[in-house]
This record gives sequence, structure tokens and C-alpha cells, in this order.
Amino acid sequence: MSLVAEAFMNQLAAAEPWPENAALYQQLKEDQILLSDNAASLAVQAFLQMCNLPVRVVCRANAEYMSPSGKVPFIHVGNQVVSELGPIVQFVKAKGHSLSDGLDEVQKAEMKAYMELVNNMLLTAELYLQWCDDVTVEEITHPRYGSPYPWPLNRILSYQKQWEIRRKMKAIGWAGKSLEQVLEDVDQCCQALSQRLGTQPYFFNKQPTELDALVFGHLFTILTTQLITDELSEKVKNYGNLTAFCRRIEQQYFEGHDKDGSAAASARSAKRSESDPDLNKIWSQIFTPECFCLAACQMPSSCKCVTHLGVQLVELMR
Amino acid sequence: MAAPMELSCWGGDWGLPSLHPESLTVMAYAKFSGAPLTVNTINNSWSTPKADVPVLISEDTVISQPAKILNFLRKQRYNADYELSAKQGADTLAYIALLEEKLLPALLHTFWVEAENYCSVTKPWFASRIPFPLSLYLPGKMSREALNRILLTRGGPPLYSLTEVEAQIYRDAKECLNLLSKRLGTSQFFFGNTPTTLDAFVFGFLAPVYKVCFPRVQLQEHLKQLTNLCRFCDDILTCYFKLTITGHSPSGQDTADANLQKLTQLVNKESNLIEKIRLSLFLCRWMTTFVRVLSTPLGR
Repeated sequence: MSLVAEAFMNQLAAAEPWPENAALYQQLKEDQILLSDNAASLAVQAFLQMCNLPVRVVCRANAEYMSPSGKVPFIHVGNQVVSELGPIVQFVKAKGHSLSDGLDEVQKAEMKAYMELVNNMLLTAELYLQWCDDVTVEEITHPRYGSPYPWPLNRILSYQKQWEIRRKMKAIGWAGKSLEQVLEDVDQCCQALSQRLGTQPYFFNKQPTELDALVFGHLFTILTTQLITDELSEKVKNYGNLTAFCRRIEQQYFEGHDKDGSAAASARSAKRSESDPDLNKIWSQIFTPECFCLAACQMPSSCKCVTHLGVQLVELMR
Repeated sequence: MAAPMELSCWGGDWGLPSLHPESLTVMAYAKFSGAPLTVNTINNSWSTPKADVPVLISEDTVISQPAKILNFLRKQRYNADYELSAKQGADTLAYIALLEEKLLPALLHTFWVEAENYCSVTKPWFASRIPFPLSLYLPGKMSREALNRILLTRGGPPLYSLTEVEAQIYRDAKECLNLLSKRLGTSQFFFGNTPTTLDAFVFGFLAPVYKVCFPRVQLQEHLKQLTNLCRFCDDILTCYFKLTITGHSPSGQDTADANLQKLTQLVNKESNLIEKIRLSLFLCRWMTTFVRVLSTPLGR
């Protein structure tokens, strides 16, 4: 996004208060969402809860394709769509809500540095585990990632995504790492976070910041997700203050709130809440590889993809 | 005592011990921790390694990648972080992640992707240190890898064109420099008066931006406004590398090198010029044909 566009967007955002019907989109909780996406979604939910901004969690099988950046989660506020934690923090700040305003310059630098640490190590490790560890790929990632789509689309999309992530891993030098090395990195990262947190309730003492939201999103997801082995969650469980930190944020911001936004619910809920029950039917009716992208766009107004026109065409034909 | 350790890394210029951020990081850490490394700068003979530089060789162990080399040095009891608390150790890790995520893409871009910089400085400099047929291939490969890394990690929607990605990575890099400047404040090093691992990394990333004379210098311009970071680089260069600079490169060879470089730059510029002339000739020819085609129906 260009600077001008961004400034314009911020101005627009500042003009309107936070609406009641703000929605956060992510993939289906029970059957589809992957570890890394769930962590990112939970981080944004925690952040919005900490800002005391209500948001309704909406699950869509095609959330990834609806997002302007191709990544989940994204929020739909008023007539704007913003995806990923960083831009959402900016967007919310433009509306006058910020968690990090009370920090001094050095603390802000520190907060940014730790957020990059989480992205650089925890997120990359999650992606590595779910797309580069062959057993996990076969047993968990492919079945879940392709679950909303019929054969052969499920395989095609899964392999496409896998190829993309593996190229990224190769570019940043992670492709040559073994699982043990990756787990060691996770351990190192957790150790750093644990030492930084110490005995404080939040990373910057009394008040939560976006760093707390991000760390909570990742660690809570790692702790509560059943993978093939427990190696990853064991690494986190070694650090008592981090698990206590996760429990504290869960109790404070998620328990007793609405069912949709609850983190605990994300681990428990069995329903495909608000997902499109007819989606599979639509697939089988119009399925051709070219049609796939068309049908994936449920929200053409926010979709910038080339198939935009195609969607309108489909709608006209109905 | 410990076995002798040899470090192979890219050499220096413009008053730097090395032009290569990773090499510079390891060299700085070795100085800070007092590790007795024999530094072999890469020259255009076939005997020195070219891939995965810097490489540390100690007896029969060969280690590449700065983080692993630093770990190895720590195991050999050359540790610059003895006096750090656990929290400061955690901070070190976090700031290194910040450098890698925010500053590295712009640094790679300045060196390897920005066409003018690459053609007139980076390519001739690296090519002159690589033996002949390989010198035609390796710089291009390094450039492609850099571009690939930038696009894969930073590209993708909603940033569709390279210019948009460029704007974003330079914005991130400038923000990162500001954060580092604020973190450093007025203290000599990041954790007080003795340099540590973090100082080695920051120095490794900043010094090339600060010292290398490129035609396009938007990052350097920004860095030069942050006086405490510049002072930080200058301090390390004068306190820890002074002897090496005068000791390592005899002035005669330096001027010869500089001449060679100017020559290669000239040749490169010429070839660019030729390319441009060729293009404009082609365009002229194309235009005339176009005009001719247009004028045919008019003539009838």
C-alpha cells in the first residue's frame, strides 16, 4: 500500500467510531484452521479484547482467499477490511485505541524487537512444523488444509501452499534445518520470553500491550493444539511463568465473554459455526479448476483478485 | 590451548575490515571476545571457499553461519557476554531478530538489487575477488538470491509491484534504525561499556550501510542523521580494527585494487550505455515502421 493510500485510510478510520458489528474472519475452527493461522487469529482476538473492542468471530472455509493480504485473520470494520496483527494495531490506533502509548521510546523499541523475535522464531517454527515435517504434513496439514474442497482440488491447493512455504523456508535458510534444530530454536525463544517476562503479570508490568497479545496467541495455541508428538508444547511447558501467563490472559480476557470470541471455545467448539453449509454443494455444481477462484470469492467488495469480475459474472448468471 | 582457528571471509574496502555483514559480525565478535582468529580474506584464487561465507575452520571442524560460529567461539570460552544478565541475553536475541526482519531486507536490496549500486559497486567488487569463469556467475546468483529472499519474505498481496515492496522495506529499515538509535541512547555500547554479541551484530549490519559509497544511498542518508549510531560504528572501527586495517592491506595493493575497480566500473557503465543506445536504436526503428504503417492508408 502506498503512503498516500495508507494516510488516507488512517484518516478515514479515525473519522468513525468502532462499530458494534465488527467481524473477525478466520478459517473453520474444528476441521480446517492450522496452528500458525490459529495463533495469528487468537493474537488479534486477544489484542482487540485488551483494547475492549467487541468483535464477532466468523468462520469461513475460504477466509484465506477473502483476506486482502492472503493471510488470516482479517477484520471487517464498517466498510474497511484490514488483515494481520501489525496493520490491525495501526488501524485501531488511528481510531484512538492504543495499548503501547504509555511506554517510553526504549520500551517501544524493546516491544517491537520482541514481537519480531516471536515472528522470526515461533511463527517460522510453526510454519516449518506444519509444512516441512513430512509426518505432520501427511497426517495433519494436508487433510485439514484441503478439508473444505473436494478431490483433486484439496490436493492441488495443499501442494501449492506447501510449495510456497518451502520456497520461503529455503530463502531464509531454514530448509536445511532438522526438526531438532527447529525445536531448539523454539526453546531458545521461549527461554528469552520467559526471562523477559520474569515474575511480572505482563511484559511491560501492569498493562498488557500488543506484545502480550502476540505471545499469548502463539503460546496458547501451541499449548492447546494436539499434534503428532507433544515435543513442541513440551518446550513451552518447561517455562512455568509462560504457562501461567497464558492462563492469566485466558481467564481475564476470554472467560465469561461472548462464546464466539472465546479462546477456550476455539479449542472446544465442535460446530462449524457460521460456515457455509452449502459451500460443498456449490463446489460440486460448478467445479472446474478455473471456477475454483470464482467461487472462493464470497466478498467481492473486499477482494482484489483478478477473478473479481468472474464473481460478478457468476452472480449475474444466477 | 585450543586449536588454531581460521576464518575465511570477504575482505574490506572503504575503511571497513569486511564489506559483508555476516563476515563483519563474526570478525567484530572475535575482536570483542579476544578470540585469536586468523582471518583469510577471499581472493580470486581457487583455494578459498566461495559459498556459505564466513566459514570458520578449526582442525577438522568446518562451521558456517554467524550464529553457529559465535556459538562455537563461546564453547571455546571466548565469550563476550559473560557480564550480561539473563534478561539482557533475551534482549540480545530479540534485537537480532529485529535486525534480521527489518533491516536485512533493505540492506540486501541496497547491495544486490538496486540496479545502479549493483552494477557500479557490488558486482565489480565481488567479481574481482572471484576467479574468472566463476566471477561471471556468482555475483548474479547472489543478486538473484537476495531478490528472491526479499520477494518471498516481503512480497505478496497487497504489495504487488517491486516498487511497493521497496518502499515498504526501506520504511521498515528506517524505523528499525530509529529504534536502535533510541535503544543505544548516549551509552557507548548496547549494554554499557563493554561490547557484546548484540554490538557485533548491529555493527555488522550498520557499518556497510554507513561506509560503502554507493550511488544510491537512501539508507545511508538516514543513518547519517542518527549521530549516536554513526559514533558507535566509528568507535568500534577505531578501537577494535585500527591495527588490522593498516596491517592487512599495504597501500600499493590498495591503489591497484582501486584502479581495477574504477576500470571495471567504467566498463560496466559503458556496457550500460551500449545497452541503452541499442534500445533507443531499436525504438527508433520500431517507430519508423509504425509511422510507415500508419501513413500507408493515409497515402491511398
